[in-house]
Amino acid sequence: MAYSELVKNFNHIRDYMREFYVYGFKCRNEFTKKSARSYDDERRRLESWLGDYMQFRQTADGKQVFLSIDSRMSRHNPLYQAWKTKSFTDGDITLHFILMDILHVSKKALTLHEITEQMDQYLSYFTKPRVFDSSTVRKKLKEYVEEGIVIAQKHGKTMFYQCSQSNCTLSVDALDFFSEIAPCGVIGSFLLDQYDTCENHFTFKHHYITETMDSEILCAIFLGMREKRTITLKTINRHTERISESQVIPLRIMISVQNGRQYLMAYASQFKRITPFRIDNIVSVTIGDINASFDAMREKLNRMLPHMWGVSTQSRSGQRMEHVAFTIQYAEHEQHIPQRLECEKRCGTITYLDPHTIKFEADVFDASEMIPWIRTFICRITEISFSDKALENQFKSDIEEMYALYGIEGGA
Amino acid sequence: MIFSELYSAYYHTVAAILKAAVDHPLQTDEIYHIVQKHAFGESILHIPSALLEERWQLIKQDGTTPFQKAPYMPLTTLEKRWLKAISLDPRIHLFCDCHFDFSEIEPLFLPEDILIFDQYSDGDDYKNETYIQNFRLILDAIKKKYPLLITLKSRKGNPIHRVMMPEHLEYSEKDDKFRLIGSGNPFGNTINLGRIIHCQPYHQPIENLGKRNAPNQQKVIFELVDKRKSLERVLLHFAHFAKEAEKLDQHLYRITIMYDKEDETELVIRILSFGPMIKVIAPLYFVDLIKQRLLQQKSCEH
Repeated sequence: MAYSELVKNFNHIRDYMREFYVYGFKCRNEFTKKSARSYDDERRRLESWLGDYMQFRQTADGKQVFLSIDSRMSRHNPLYQAWKTKSFTDGDITLHFILMDILHVSKKALTLHEITEQMDQYLSYFTKPRVFDSSTVRKKLKEYVEEGIVIAQKHGKTMFYQCSQSNCTLSVDALDFFSEIAPCGVIGSFLLDQYDTCENHFTFKHHYITETMDSEILCAIFLGMREKRTITLKTINRHTERISESQVIPLRIMISVQNGRQYLMAYASQFKRITPFRIDNIVSVTIGDINASFDAMREKLNRMLPHMWGVSTQSRSGQRMEHVAFTIQYAEHEQHIPQRLECEKRCGTITYLDPHTIKFEADVFDASEMIPWIRTFICRITEISFSDKALENQFKSDIEEMYALYGIEGGA
Repeated sequence: MIFSELYSAYYHTVAAILKAAVDHPLQTDEIYHIVQKHAFGESILHIPSALLEERWQLIKQDGTTPFQKAPYMPLTTLEKRWLKAISLDPRIHLFCDCHFDFSEIEPLFLPEDILIFDQYSDGDDYKNETYIQNFRLILDAIKKKYPLLITLKSRKGNPIHRVMMPEHLEYSEKDDKFRLIGSGNPFGNTINLGRIIHCQPYHQPIENLGKRNAPNQQKVIFELVDKRKSLERVLLHFAHFAKEAEKLDQHLYRITIMYDKEDETELVIRILSFGPMIKVIAPLYFVDLIKQRLLQQKSCEH
């Protein structure tokens, strides 16, 4: 098939975008999942959509292609472009604009017959006029009724169609802001496209745009969640490339604004417990039946939250609950340290032992999730203990290893 | 469906072409210009020819169109559901006192469907009337380009006054705070909106407002050992920076991150959070920043 910059299936491009944006160190011959030609096509597409952000580096192994985006500088998420690349046929686009013009201009609802008659008039201006049969037009109208842009009403045996009249009354600034920070923000970007100009009055710091690639998955989860339905997830293990299937009750989306990952917290019947699923590892979502246990399971999750540091609901040690305590010291001029601890402590508690010493404690399902955060206090940790001694030893030996890495005397 | 041609750049571009054609007969150059403005790098090879060769029967040979009105695209149900969902976000009141009219539409998600679990807890108060008024005035000043007289709390809690020409607002989801970025304030380019007590348009003549300091771009280079899934964790964590990654051998990578000097302390602790998986190798002063923290830590253990 001839190359086109548009695509039919987003999942193919989703994988390449992740590779180029998150990783960006692979050469052409390392993309082994698909053929070399497939790699060339996808790279060319991404270059067409995101040319300003594509970069190349020549290495001994070949040319590396990567996307380098400072999301603080680029005022609109450039990855949204990928969602605007759906392919279509020549007939689709011709039919779309003629159909919408006929319905928009008409002051009354029209029958299928009236619509097709008018279509022929539009097309008669062209050298070799296309012919759309009634069933094609009916099918397109049905599709647009489902999308909500056409309204169908039956009078007797005849169906009448008219254009839906609804406009976005939200300001461009609000759309601009929420399109960047709200879940499924790409929908806001579609709305912004309707405006001729969009001045940018916002920038975003610590702005993760990786989740853009997962917008459709997230949207499908929300649709299932809002109707309290069971959903079937197909998830991929990225190390083994193995796909597995799970039937779950979707309960809540948990978002990290410190690493950009998004998780679905769901009751998985196969494990008989509430567990997290990384959304970027979900390859498809199928919405099933309404599940009567939804409210009870969500309530159960709410009761678990005071013991969840992140998303993990069980420890590696086998203990139901793990205790973590550490003490930090700070100087008189470092009052930002207790302030930091206060606003970052989540489900933990803090005790002021003296004017320059604070103790932090927490009881959580999985203490290993806390380790990266605890390490941010390196330079002031005076004591630390974990109920899971293996974890404690790991933490301490990691610090020894860090001393050694930087040649600090006494390191491992 | 999010991935639909209805939202595609091609449909959007053709709508812009038709809008112009309803107004006046189009020359080929104008079609090219609209395509370049709205579509992708290679679209110029596809859209004009599809229209001019009548594969898409929308523009006549004389550059006019049989269309009577500029294309109209009503909101899709998905768009309405998303709009309804964001109307439930408290931050919407920063922009308007709007009430959405889609009574028959269910929001795509509710606030209770989402939890940001690692956001700092001292974020701005979006329900505070003064905060809302300040936000709206600042946004207006940014758009209309007029200076503001801002009264804010100093770190010691005393009111201080600053005249500033606002340029844009910066939002951090991690901090859940807005910052005003502008010029003219000799004490810095940024003011946290949460610290502003009052602001008003500044009507006095201003001399030498000055320019905002450009971001001081720096680069840090570190080596990463891919243990305990650290490659993925590190690259995702630093994904929002402009960066480069190189594979040095099977488990060793060199990562270069570009950052703003003002965020250096934050970057130091973010690098420390990865423990021995990361070793900073350049620049030397950054290596020293890490070493200094480790030396202090060592002294805490005695």
